[in-house]
Amino acid sequence: MSTLDIGGSQLDTSWFLLLAAVLFTLGTVGVLVRRNPIVILICIELMLNAVNLTLVAFSRQLQNIEGQLFALMAMTVAAAEAVVGLAILVDIFRVRDVEDVDDLSELKG
Amino acid sequence: MALAVFFVAAAMAVAGGVGVISFREPIRCVLSLVVVMIALSILFLLLSAQFVFVVQIIVYAGAVMVLFLFVIALLGPARETARGRLRFQPWLSALFALVFLGLLFTMLQGVQYRQPDKADLSVFGTVQSIGVGLFTQYLYPFELTSILLLTAAIGAIYLSRKETDDR
Repeated sequence: MSTLDIGGSQLDTSWFLLLAAVLFTLGTVGVLVRRNPIVILICIELMLNAVNLTLVAFSRQLQNIEGQLFALMAMTVAAAEAVVGLAILVDIFRVRDVEDVDDLSELKG
Repeated sequence: MALAVFFVAAAMAVAGGVGVISFREPIRCVLSLVVVMIALSILFLLLSAQFVFVVQIIVYAGAVMVLFLFVIALLGPARETARGRLRFQPWLSALFALVFLGLLFTMLQGVQYRQPDKADLSVFGTVQSIGVGLFTQYLYPFELTSILLLTAAIGAIYLSRKETDDR
């Protein structure tokens, strides 16, 4: 049912989905464990890439192009997010030296 | 053949993902993420998404990662040396990861795969089919995306400009 015939080999859609789940979990762990703000942004990019893999895998499974279009949109949003996030980080680093996201906790209640 | 390609690319992607979260220097994290993206682009090619493959290489592994490298080079190679404030944070996040992965795995067991609509795979994922989809049915989201990119560019310029007195 969920088997894909790719170049004569039989691959299963769920393998791609499982790999995407593993990559997404790795990104989540990175966001939780790492303390460098740039590395946290990198881990968010990893999570977005895992979601893109899910979209393209379902697109191939249903043989429907809309999943790939949505993956392209997600890439655009990821690029915009990276640009604005890095600009904010550069602005913060210009004012003071931050080596830990916990240094930026003045706004907490 | 495709089976071997899948497993090699999957192993590359997982190894790169582990590298992203375990290297101390941010520059190595970025290079590990480039490995993940190249492995994922190989998987996109397996899934007959040629255009997404090219965009992934050029835009992601090219432009976005070079941007990250520039910013790290600009801010200096900050190593993570200080210990975090929460002593149990690694163990708590490991527990969270196990639970989250179990949740996702359980969800994947319950996916009902619908039979495909039998599209023509020889044109599936080419520039032509992507372009037809993007400029007919999805023209409105496409234009909204261009506005989003313009907004991000203006915001980045505003945030990273030099402080002057006459503002």
